[in-house]
Amino acid sequence: MSPGASNWIPDWAAEALAVFAKEWRCELRTQVALNTLGLFAVTTLVVASVSLGPLGVSKSQGSALLPVLLWLILLFSVAAGLPRAFVQEEESQTATALRLSATPSALFCGKLLYSLTLVAALEALITPIYVTIMNLEVKDPALLVGALAAGGYGLAAGSTLVAAIIAQARSKGTLFSVLSFPILLPLLILVIELTRNAVLGDPAGLALGQLLLYDASVSIFGLMLFPVVWNP
Amino acid sequence: MKKTLPWLLWLWISAVIVGAFYYAPLAAKFIGKSSRILFFHVPMAWVSFFAFIAGAVWSLLYLLRGRQERHDRAAAVAIQLGLLFGVLAIVTGSLWARIEWGAWWNWDPRQTSLLISLLFYAAYLALRGAVDDPEKRGRLAAAYALLGLVVTPFFYWVMPRLAPITLHPEPVVNADAKVEMDTRILQVLLASTFAFTVLFFWMHNLQCRLQALLARREEARG
Repeated sequence: MSPGASNWIPDWAAEALAVFAKEWRCELRTQVALNTLGLFAVTTLVVASVSLGPLGVSKSQGSALLPVLLWLILLFSVAAGLPRAFVQEEESQTATALRLSATPSALFCGKLLYSLTLVAALEALITPIYVTIMNLEVKDPALLVGALAAGGYGLAAGSTLVAAIIAQARSKGTLFSVLSFPILLPLLILVIELTRNAVLGDPAGLALGQLLLYDASVSIFGLMLFPVVWNP
Repeated sequence: MKKTLPWLLWLWISAVIVGAFYYAPLAAKFIGKSSRILFFHVPMAWVSFFAFIAGAVWSLLYLLRGRQERHDRAAAVAIQLGLLFGVLAIVTGSLWARIEWGAWWNWDPRQTSLLISLLFYAAYLALRGAVDDPEKRGRLAAAYALLGLVVTPFFYWVMPRLAPITLHPEPVVNADAKVEMDTRILQVLLASTFAFTVLFFWMHNLQCRLQALLARREEARG
């Protein structure tokens, strides 16, 4: 074993945490992603609620419709805010410095962790308001939390690699939606089914296992493909 | 051989067309003569999926073997052809569905899986169009194509959840790993699948050569 080998894991983890800390420091300085994500989600939620009218939807319709609306709000909010993690590096010309200072895998994990905390914050903000405004009765709250955790992780993992790709292309904003939505579609179908099961109080079934498999596959391949995307 | 291959191919395809309309009997349980379109629809769908997998393999070769432009070009052309055959499969499938099911589009799991795959690969082409530098375009597109290869199998697990009952006829090899089909229908279907596969390779070769010539002309112009 080489002398540096025993320190490899702590070094790598320290690099990833440094990237994560740097992302949040930059974010708290400008608060662009936080404001974009939060305001976009709240505005869409209000529009959806107003469109359904003061009486909302019946309980039978609600269990079918409301989980779909919740995840569409989260998906479009993510599309509005998450690409910034990499786009900002290219626009402010800090990408080269980042390439020199961090290993690609640590960088990917740091950015993923940042996206994950951003999505978790968004879910923590939106879900209680959504449940209250829409009068959504959730029979299995634990399953809903599980669906939000696994679904949020999938959104962050799928978006991180796509954000790294579009940051190096033209027309970044529209391209993110075009590239990420086909990748996130299986996740959406599974997580909507899980949320519906949580609302109705049904067991999670196979959907939870498949969702976790999706999360693991996208993370592993994202980690393997990221050096190709990141390094010229 | 290079000159005779296209003629042999056109001869083979002509024989398949004649076989589809005059040799193969009408399939049981199908309305009117609608079963004849399947001799073209099934091979088109097969070539589409084959082209997407070939595109991913060429993308992998591009990343592993010194990022040679010919591998990137081969991947892009395969995916373009996969889209072409995929659209044709959807159109022929819709024509058949209108006769058999009474509606052009039914969100059948297999229809939906193919549609989402087409959306993914159309996004791949959009990505290529948004990057000017050839090296950067090659590696970004290759990474995206390989990510698609990971996500695509999920469609086949997930889509049946939207519509658990499919009206689609059984695949050529059914769930019991048996082929339950009239011998003459099977012969024409296999001949057609072979013809479409060779057609794909012929078109792929032509298009790759054309793209290489265009790239060389661009280089010469500076």
